[in-house]
This record gives sequence, C-alpha cells and structure tokens, in this order.
Amino acid sequence: MQPLRFIKVFSIGAFFTIISAFTPAPQPGAVMFKIHLPYAKAGLTRQQAAAHLLNRFSFGATPGELDAVVSMGLENWLQEQLQASLPDEELNKRMANGYDALAMSNAQIVNTYVRPDQALQIGVARKLIRRDSIMVAANTAEYRMIVRTLMDSASLKPVIELHRQLINQKVLCAAYSNNQLKEVLTDFWFNHFNVSLTKNQSQQFVLTYERDAIRPNVLGRFSNLLEATAKHPAMLEYLDNASSVSNDNSVANPRLKAQKKNEGLNENYAREIMELHTMGVDGGYTQKDVTEVARALTGWTLYPNSEYGAGSAQRKMLERVGLNTLQQRGFVIQGDFLYRADKHDQGEKNILGHVFPAGGGYEEGMRVIELLSIHPATAAFICKKLATRFVSDTPSVDLVRKMTAVFMKSKGDIRQVLIAMVEQVDFWKPALTHEKIKSPFELVISAIRATHADVQDPFQVFNWCARMGQRFYYYQAPTGFPDNAAFWINTGSLLNRMNFGLAFATQKIPGIRMNWAQLNNNHEPESVEQALTVFSNILLPERNQEQNIKRLLPLVKDVRIGAKIAAAADKAPPPVKDETNMAEDRPLKKQERKALAKNSRKPLQMPYTAGINSPVAQVAGIIIGSPEFQRK
Amino acid sequence: MTNRRAFMKSGAMALFATGLGGGLPAFVARAAQSQKFLQPYKKSKVLVCIFQRGAMDGLMAVSPYADPALKAARPGLYMSPAATEGQLFDLDGRFGLHPALDGLYPYFSEKRMAIVHGVGSPNNTRSHFDAQDYMESGTPFSKSTSSGWLNRAIGLMGHDATPFRAVSVTNALPRSFYGQEESLAISNLQDFAIQMRGNPMAAGLAAKSFEELYDQTSSSILNRTGKESFEAIKMLNLNSIRNYKAADGVVYPASPLGNALKQIAILIKMNVGLELAFAESGGWDTHFNQGTANGAFARNLKDFGDSIAAFWKDLGAYQDDVTLMTMTEFGRTVKQNGTGGTDHGRGSCLFVLGNDVQGGTVYNKVSSLAKEELEDGRDLPVSTDFRSVFSSVAGTHLMINNNRALFPGWDGTPLLLMKA
Repeated sequence: MQPLRFIKVFSIGAFFTIISAFTPAPQPGAVMFKIHLPYAKAGLTRQQAAAHLLNRFSFGATPGELDAVVSMGLENWLQEQLQASLPDEELNKRMANGYDALAMSNAQIVNTYVRPDQALQIGVARKLIRRDSIMVAANTAEYRMIVRTLMDSASLKPVIELHRQLINQKVLCAAYSNNQLKEVLTDFWFNHFNVSLTKNQSQQFVLTYERDAIRPNVLGRFSNLLEATAKHPAMLEYLDNASSVSNDNSVANPRLKAQKKNEGLNENYAREIMELHTMGVDGGYTQKDVTEVARALTGWTLYPNSEYGAGSAQRKMLERVGLNTLQQRGFVIQGDFLYRADKHDQGEKNILGHVFPAGGGYEEGMRVIELLSIHPATAAFICKKLATRFVSDTPSVDLVRKMTAVFMKSKGDIRQVLIAMVEQVDFWKPALTHEKIKSPFELVISAIRATHADVQDPFQVFNWCARMGQRFYYYQAPTGFPDNAAFWINTGSLLNRMNFGLAFATQKIPGIRMNWAQLNNNHEPESVEQALTVFSNILLPERNQEQNIKRLLPLVKDVRIGAKIAAAADKAPPPVKDETNMAEDRPLKKQERKALAKNSRKPLQMPYTAGINSPVAQVAGIIIGSPEFQRK
Repeated sequence: MTNRRAFMKSGAMALFATGLGGGLPAFVARAAQSQKFLQPYKKSKVLVCIFQRGAMDGLMAVSPYADPALKAARPGLYMSPAATEGQLFDLDGRFGLHPALDGLYPYFSEKRMAIVHGVGSPNNTRSHFDAQDYMESGTPFSKSTSSGWLNRAIGLMGHDATPFRAVSVTNALPRSFYGQEESLAISNLQDFAIQMRGNPMAAGLAAKSFEELYDQTSSSILNRTGKESFEAIKMLNLNSIRNYKAADGVVYPASPLGNALKQIAILIKMNVGLELAFAESGGWDTHFNQGTANGAFARNLKDFGDSIAAFWKDLGAYQDDVTLMTMTEFGRTVKQNGTGGTDHGRGSCLFVLGNDVQGGTVYNKVSSLAKEELEDGRDLPVSTDFRSVFSSVAGTHLMINNNRALFPGWDGTPLLLMKA
C-alpha cells in the first residue's frame, strides 16, 4: 500500500473538477530544411544510400519503397519524414477497433483499467461489495471469481488489457505508419526516458506517457521532451518524485509536519534526470547537485485521479479546498501534473553553479529543466546517444562533436541535430552500413514490412520479441535497453532469431500472414534457384546477394526435397488466392474447365511458392534468420 | 577468448563421459583426435539463486516464536512448536521452522543449511519494485546501476564465456543478470534448438543452412555467437533432456519453481559449464488470509521447500559443487493487518544450502519484537545487510573476493556463514 501522500486541511471548499485535457503539441508548420546528403562523396550509389537511409530512419523498407525513395529523391523523403505529417489511412483502419484506451484520459484509465486489488477497492468504494466479503487470499479461484463478477458489474477492465493495447499499438504504428521516422524516434526517446510496466504504481500511465509525453515531442525541442516526461504521472511514479517532499515551508499546516515522519526527500528522479536523461554520468555534476535538484523538484507530483485508495481521499480534499485557493497558495495544476506548494522546499538552492533564491516555487523546477536541457554536457550526451542509434555502436568523435555544436546552437532542436548527422560523410561510410544489429523489435517489424505481412494479432510480435530478449515496456531499469550488438546477440537470443525467421515465413505465427506469391507479383519462379534470387532481393534489397545466394544454393535443393515431404504432410495448405479471379460467380467456360481439371490433377499450382512449407517459405525463413537480415 | 572453443570440446566430451549423451558428436570425435586433452571438463562450482518475489513473511517461515510480542502482534497468525499452535520445527529454542518446510528441515539438522534472519536492504523502501531493483542491482541507493550483481559476479570470476555459464530459467532476463557478461534466459531447455513445428526434416536442413551462413558472415559478433549457438545445441542433447529421469525417489513438484530447478539440475549434470543459475518463486505478497499451518502461505512454502529438497536430492554426487541461496525483497509487518494477512515490512529471512555452508544455525541480530524495538514502530528491523550474506557466499563458493566491485559503494564485512 502506498503511504497517504496528501493530507490537507484547508477549509475553504469550492467544489471544482479538473478535466485533464491532453492536447498534442501543435503540428509543426511546413518548414522545409535545406538538406545536402553527401553519400556520393562517401562512395555510395543513390540506390545504396536510399537503402541505408531506410534501414536507419525507418523500421525497414516495404516492397518497392526503395525505388520510390530513389525516384522522389532522398532529400525529399527525408523532408517528409522530418515533417511527420503524412496521412496514415491503413494504420487508422487497423486501429479503428479495440483501442479505446488510446482516446482516454489518465483519469478515465485509472478508473477503468485496474488491477484485481484496485477492482476490489472500487467495489467497496461504490458499495457494490462489503469489505469483509473480500477477505480471501489472492490468486485463489474464489478471489478470481469475486474480481471477475465485480469487474463485469462495474464496467471495469483488467489492466493487462490496457497493456495489450499499449503493446499492440506500438507494433501497428511501427509496421504500418507512413511517418516512420517519428515511430523510430518514439522507440528511441521512450527508451531514453524509460518507464516500466513492471512497477505497479506507474503501469496505468505508460500508455498515455508514450502518447502524450513522448510521441508528440520526438522531433521538437529536447526541453519539451524533458518537461513532458518530468511532469507525466508515469515518470513521477516510476522514479518516485511523486513522493519526494519537504515539509520545510510556510504553506504546510504546522500541525501536520510532526505526523508525517515517513515523508522526505527522494533523490531518485533528480539523480536520473542528470545521469540518464541529460548530462550523462560523466557530465560533471556532483552529489550535492543531485540533492539540490531533488530539493528544487519537491512537491512535483501527480494530480490524484483515482476514485479509490489514497488518490480518492486526496482528490476530495483538493476539491474541497478549491482551485482558486490552491492557486493563491502557489499550487499549479496542469492536466495530471500537480505542483504542491505545501510540499516544496522553499530554501535557497545552488545547482551547477547557479543560485536559485529562496521562495522560487514551481518556477524553480522549470528553470532546472531548462538549465539541464541546454547544458553542453547534455548536448554531447544526447548527440552521442542519437549517433549510436542511427550510425554505429561506436560513433566517431568528430561526428558527435558536429552534432553537439548544432544542438547547442539550435537550443536542442532535434530536427536540426538529425539533419546535421546525415549531412556528415561519417553517416554514409560504406564500412558502417549494415553494421548496426537490429533489436528484436526492429527485426520483427522489418520482416513484416519487407513482406507486406498482414498482422491481425500484434501481440504475437511481443511474444517473439520477449523470446529474443526484448520484453518492451517491461525493462525494469531506468537506463532503458542498451543500444549495442553485444546486448542483443547471445546464443539463446540468436537461436530464437533463427526460429523466428522460420516460424514467420512458414506462417506458423498465429495472426501474422503474408503472401509470397503476391510479393513476386504472382509470378511463379521458374526454379527454386530463381526463387532464391528473387526473394533474396525482396527481403534484402541492395545488399551483396552473391555470397548469400552462392552459399544457400546447394541447400535449397535439399529444401526442395524436404518440402515435398513436408507438403505431403501439410494437411491443409492455405490456397494461394488470386483475388482478381474470385469475384465472379458464373458458369465456367470450356477452357477454364479444362484448366481446372488439369490443375486439379496437380494440386500445387505454384510448386515453389504455394503451401506453408513451400521451398520459398523455407528459403525466406532462412534469409530472415540469416546474419544479413539481423543487420540494418 | 582463446579457450572458448577448447572449452566447448571438453564440455561435450564430459557430456559423453557422464553417459547423458546419446552418442559422440562428430565434432567432438574430431577434436579428440587433434587435441591433447583427455580429461573431462573440470567441474565448476555452481551458485543457484532463488528470488521469492512479493516479499516472504520471514516471521512466519522462520518464526521467533519465543518472543511474546509476536504472539501479541499477530494473534491470528502466531505459530509455535506446540501441537496446538502449528507444530513448528524447533531450531534453537527461539526460532521455529514452518512445518511446510519439512523437506528442508533435515538439511538444517545436518548442518548443511543455514538461515539468516533480519536480513534485508538498508534502503527502507517498501515498494516491491524498488526493493527488488536494489537487491538485484546490489546497489540499494542507486537505480542507475546498469548491471546486476550476478552479472558482475560472472565477470569477476573471469572464466571463459560459455553459452550456459549463467542461466536464468525464467521468461525474461532478471535484473540480477543485466549487464555486459553474456547470460541466458530460457524457460524451457527444449526450446534450445532450431524448430519447425511438425517438420523435423526441414528443421534439420534449416539448421544446416543457418550454421553455414553464420560461419561465413563478416559480422564478427554474429559469426562468433552463431558458432557458439550451434555448438551449444549439440552439447545440450535434447533427447536426454526430454527423457531425463531424476534420481531414484526424487519427485519434483509440478510447479514453476519445481520445473525450473529440475532444468538447472539437468544443466549441472550435463557439465555444460554452468556457474550461476537463477529461478523465481512467486505468490509471497500475502495481504489477505495468509493462513498458518495450512492456507495460502503454507501451500506456497511447501512448494518452495519441496522443490529445493527434490533438487538437492537429485543432485546426488554434485552436491559438493553447488550452493543454493534464496532471497526476497523485504519482510512483512510484525502485526497482522485487518484482512488476515500482513503488509509490507523490512527484514525477512533467507536460506543457504550447501556442503560448504556452516549450517544448523539461525544467523541473526534480531532483538525483541516489542514495538519500541521495531523499525518505524512496525517492522522487524534489517539487522543484516543482504550484501554481507551474498558476498560471503560468492566469496567462499565462487572465490570472488573483490567485494568493492561486486557491490559498489559497500564497505561492510561478509557474514561468516561458510566453511573457510
């Protein structure tokens, strides 16, 4: 149980409600940037450069996308991605049903998607059940029955359903959004400002955290990201700032000070905002700075939204006090963020050599955020991290220095920093292309995109990523997942990458389907050897295929033999539909009847592509599990 | 690094030697011809850690029954050696072992199992998440420690990397294993293979293709890890896992913990280079009706004790190489709450089992449970830092003597509970 965080006895009671209204950051205007991409100077052809750009700035090319980027111009494609305002019809269609939480406020979510123990609290609060009727041990059948009945009658839903929506929307956005860079950066910045579903207190807020604090800000100013994450309930709970308080101020009721001896300063967030979010561990701050930042952020907490537990009591008290009185006393309410003047340390602080005079209140924390967001150590730390993600596990000092200069000059404009990165020859060095290893998530999404796969059950992606070592949204430490090959590649995860390739291509993953024949415009390859060439080029455009093909060639003949056996074992191979011919229901013409009779003697019309165990599916599975496909 | 492959060969050789292998793999035969070695792989010491997630009520598992304050604080949960009060195993006239731990009691009597009481973290958080995080990172006041203490232990041992050096039998890598040293999280050893459901022949062909492709790739990490993966598959011998028979008379509970420990036993017996193993046990967050000699807590504790006992018996001759240590993030309130359970507290207890343990003792600095002696007036104080136990076990059993590196920022002394 969390300690009761709020005990207020201001007696003036004007009732008010606060609607947490999240408005996404305003869409950037159509500012175009002059961009010059020096790939030719680095020795890449236009095609190779486009492939590299798609590898790093998207979750992988879809069929034909490479040619499209080449013909529209790499610079123009990049412009579009930096604007991130392309329409997303397919994505919207796929998310039309089953994603109600994406339109909910935090208040709605915490009172709808609940853990079993919260459901019971709500049941008691709404007088649906009696307190003594829930005194059964958790995880027993009886307990589960009580919870289930209660949830049904109170229109509550299990919090795991909220997690499902969160996970699935990430998969669908990454796979189907046209604004790929925005999704890549959402992944990057979420990981940078990591919060985790493993922590009970923050788990209900992770969905809105990504939606409201991360995604709208990924291409804006770094300070916006920092502020939005600092004030979001997910981060406030995850790194404990919500409970970091001081009673050393003139606002608090003196009678309460003595009672709250368990309360106090908590430095977790203050340390991580410097060490992990801004300046980096070698950024030059001291333990004293950490403590001072923690003091400056005391009273930064979340507006209590729940109608149960401690939050309920707190909210009622805030409502009794009334908005006007709170504001007069220096409280600040912004959406779900609450600054409690009565829990703020009013004393003077000294942070990184800057004096913060006593009585700075809420603005003091804002000044800390601004100070940290444009500090030179922050610029260097963030630019190195971006370069590590987009260029190489060990980016060149020169590249990072040039990006850092632009970060400083533009006061942390993320777009300008990315442009500075791609304008360096270092971004395009042939030796660095394909040197980054895909994360499991990147691997799966790139396979989906490369094959135009139809993902009906996005949660399967999560299951596979977990097996490959990336249980996204569940990474426990505030560091986020490390971004380097050594972290992702070990014997267990590598075997699962190979198994993923096979399961994916042979359609063994429920709810994820692709049509190999359609990918090759319904042309049946003339031989299994040709199939190998064709599908290698579809899956790995602009790579040196010669070696891959040479090595796989002797094997595909074996695969063909294996496939014949397997095809016989396939009890019901899904038919390869050519939908253009299926629409009409009319008597068959003589020719057609003949063709049908011929085909019925030959059940597999496409001996290389048809059937879930076809040679093409197996070869494609091997390509997806191969070393080349692990690289981006 | 240079010995990596040599290990592989000798490891597989040992597998053959112990009779678990179905036949001598070709690559082992080749290696045997070309190498001087004929000795089986030198057996390494193994540390097995079990994390009891949810905070076990140490005051009920190992109850300071003789303290009248306990009986007063939890009238509905009090147990003692008396037949009418739960029939605890009396350990020393002061502490009693819960009857559900009957599987472990003999090891305490034989002085092979030690109990440490009042153990926990100096950080007084009562959040499961934070406390587990601190215990697993081994740095109770720093969240940003990127590595887990067991990962650092792997590095400090400095032995060759093998795929099975550090294995967590869990779905995801535990925080304890985070870090730069290679480790493996696998919930079922049988998954350690190239798989194509219902099509073993195609799976075989795919494996051959993959092996070749990874052998040729220009990416050194993919090349190296690919080789290791395929050698590991060959070492693991899935048939013997599938047909594994535990030692005579040993029955593992059909529970997640029982299953995990069984897989750890298999890895130990296969001599595949296992040095650190990790398993989890859940269901300890007993806020409601935890029961006494029977009930939710007793059931869970029975599974816990029986799983460990089965594992230990199954190890047989390997017992000399293995130490098993349990841990939990904190204990529970001395006073029972309003719903027949207990809330989040501070100190709890843990168990250390092994032939190099000075057992038969409840190591503790636990004082009276009178209210004025309790932390914040409610909880058993943490009188033994978890790091003093972990460092002692790692020091004696794994020969890790750099406690500053194992637990950065800690300058305490190890608790002497191991045989010198």
